[in-house]
Amino acid sequence: MASMSSKRLQKELTKIQGTLPPGITLVSAPDLREWVMDISIIDNPIYPPNETYRMRFSFSPSYPIEAPEVVFVVLAAPERKIPIHPHIYSNGIICLDLLDSQGWSPVHNVESVCISIQSMLAGNTKAERPPGDAEFVRSNRQRPRDINFLYHDPKV
Amino acid sequence: MSRSHFSRSPRGNQDPTFTRTHSHSHSSSNPINTLGLPSPPPNGRRSSMGVEVRGMRRLEQRRNMEESHYLACNARAQNYNPPVDLRLLDYVSSYDNNLMCAICRCPFVDPVILNECDHCFCRACIRQCWNTNTTYTPLGPRGDCPTCRTPAKLGPRSATSKILVNLVDELIVQCPRKDDGCKAEVRRCEVQDHVNIYCGYTLIECTGKDCTDPVRRKDAAQSCLHYGASCLLCHKELQQWKLEAHWRSECPDRRVHCEMCKSPVFHRELEMHNKETCPAISTPCPGCSSRNKRGHAEAHAKSCTFAKLAPVLLRQQERLDEQEAAQKEMSRKLEVLEGGFTNMQGILFPSQEVENADRRSGDSNHIPYLRRSLVSPENADADAPTNDFAGFDWNFSAADVRHDGASSAETFQNGMASPPTRAAPAVPGPRPDDLPEPFSSDFDLASPPTFPPSGPYASPLHHLLSMHESLRDEMTRITSALSELDGRHSMQILNENLRTREEISYLAAQTAGLQRQMHWFTSAQLQRQQGRSPTPGASGSALGGAMMDAGAGAGVEAAVGAVSTAATALRGAARMVNVGGSASGVGMRRGTSEEGRTKL
Repeated sequence: MASMSSKRLQKELTKIQGTLPPGITLVSAPDLREWVMDISIIDNPIYPPNETYRMRFSFSPSYPIEAPEVVFVVLAAPERKIPIHPHIYSNGIICLDLLDSQGWSPVHNVESVCISIQSMLAGNTKAERPPGDAEFVRSNRQRPRDINFLYHDPKV
Repeated sequence: MSRSHFSRSPRGNQDPTFTRTHSHSHSSSNPINTLGLPSPPPNGRRSSMGVEVRGMRRLEQRRNMEESHYLACNARAQNYNPPVDLRLLDYVSSYDNNLMCAICRCPFVDPVILNECDHCFCRACIRQCWNTNTTYTPLGPRGDCPTCRTPAKLGPRSATSKILVNLVDELIVQCPRKDDGCKAEVRRCEVQDHVNIYCGYTLIECTGKDCTDPVRRKDAAQSCLHYGASCLLCHKELQQWKLEAHWRSECPDRRVHCEMCKSPVFHRELEMHNKETCPAISTPCPGCSSRNKRGHAEAHAKSCTFAKLAPVLLRQQERLDEQEAAQKEMSRKLEVLEGGFTNMQGILFPSQEVENADRRSGDSNHIPYLRRSLVSPENADADAPTNDFAGFDWNFSAADVRHDGASSAETFQNGMASPPTRAAPAVPGPRPDDLPEPFSSDFDLASPPTFPPSGPYASPLHHLLSMHESLRDEMTRITSALSELDGRHSMQILNENLRTREEISYLAAQTAGLQRQMHWFTSAQLQRQQGRSPTPGASGSALGGAMMDAGAGAGVEAAVGAVSTAATALRGAARMVNVGGSASGVGMRRGTSEEGRTKL
């Protein structure tokens, strides 16, 4: 199993290093466990076009069957912030059914996840954090995949 | 994935030790021959039926033994060589992306089609995805299609057409043992056979007698290689058959080729080689921003002016760092000092309030120094006419009220309220012309330009500080003057006390003399009376004399009482003098403060 995940990640990496959709760049993939990607949103006034957001992908050994863990990260230099979105908490955790065991499908890959998040941000009209953000950020010690999100917004 | 073509017999449970001890003797021999030539019975007795039955039993026993031995060998071989997972192979030939499973991203392996949505996946992938490898689902494997989420199931008709299977099976792959050194490239459908039968790097059981350890197939022709040996390079102890793999991928002293410069290096030195010596790795020029390969660094250093300057730049950088550290320290010091200064200011302003209150209570010019320092030096002559100056002072404080903060404003207002009669609201006479403009309108402690720039005080804060210092000097001078006065007064009092005491003692002596004289007089008169009373002829005169005596006695007694009261009065006076001395000390102290002030 472990070898299957690494085999597939190897193939994805080769593909990603070749071409990527606009606005998505691979920052580093030191091993087959954790990759760092940058995305920028082109067509939304909420997000300045020159601002870039950094995402960290963590893959489990049973990767294509199990969803990767995707979070936004804060960085001082180069400056990377957490994009403001009603489904992204200020600690970087993304509430997206695609990244949950129910919504994940092994057909997805890093590129498609990036495109999904990019389109989720590009279609955003509300510059706000999810309700109860402060409380969640203060109290949450769980990994993103262990959190029971309630997916209620069919528009995203 | 059992590849066994034997069917396990129901009675085939044999003692494993038995199997192992006989495995080598029988593995090479043909089982049919053995079956044809049964060994004689141990007891040597022969009877037709008994031989038949016993022979059959022995035959069966032997067959079971052979079978179990085969199974054991097979199982061991499978442990050495697990079935090849076709999804993990490296493909040599290129393939169409449409022949790729969406889950494993490999050409389909045993592809199945979901009848509900026509999406195609490897059978193993879709089962893993639906988690049916580990959980039993009585209705057959079912779940949502990973691509389109349509509920689907794997049915008996799920297998795809032979065309697709053949297409993907024709692809050329590398042997899964390529890491060990096998360079074979075979069709995918033949990979398993290659590994099981042909690949020289597959592990099989050792052919040596009584040895069950694995060995590579290509080494199996040699005799048993399971003996200890040591690596020639790193001297590590290991078994002979592992040496090749050790040299290939483990030994730290093996020669490898640097990927960048292609030169051979020892594996253990590869890291250092990359970090320090490899000429093909580019390093940044210390001066300019370009990166050059290490091999060309010298040539670059000759041409690059910045590289020549590099040591100088380095030194500059060092100095810069030093200066920065020093500056950081200085700024910290400055911060501390500023904090202390604000504290001082906090102390200073209330002290000014006290001074103002002092000024308000008493004479307006008993601290002339303060006022002189508040006024600019060129206005120092202003304090000559007191009344004039008071007016100016009032004006100044009014200006101050307008511009200064709340706390000092209040005190100034108080100061304004108490001497209103004396202070004229407008400065009389030529005063306003003498005053510089900022003083009458714009005086503010916080604005330095109000002070003459050439003056001794660069800023109001310095001015305040100096004022504070001068006040302190004033205080010490006043204190010393006070103590001096105190001493002088006490000396005076002592002297006067002495004089009064002398007078009192003189008076007391006089009184004592008078008392003595009085006694003498009375005793003389009494003797005279006693000497005169026995004479009978002179009763009338005696009576008169007695009466006169009584009168004289009363007079004498009165005189004695007067003298004694005088003595008590004197004593009281002496006491009074003592008390008065101490009382005048207290009073004098109060007086001296006034006197000292006026004097200074």
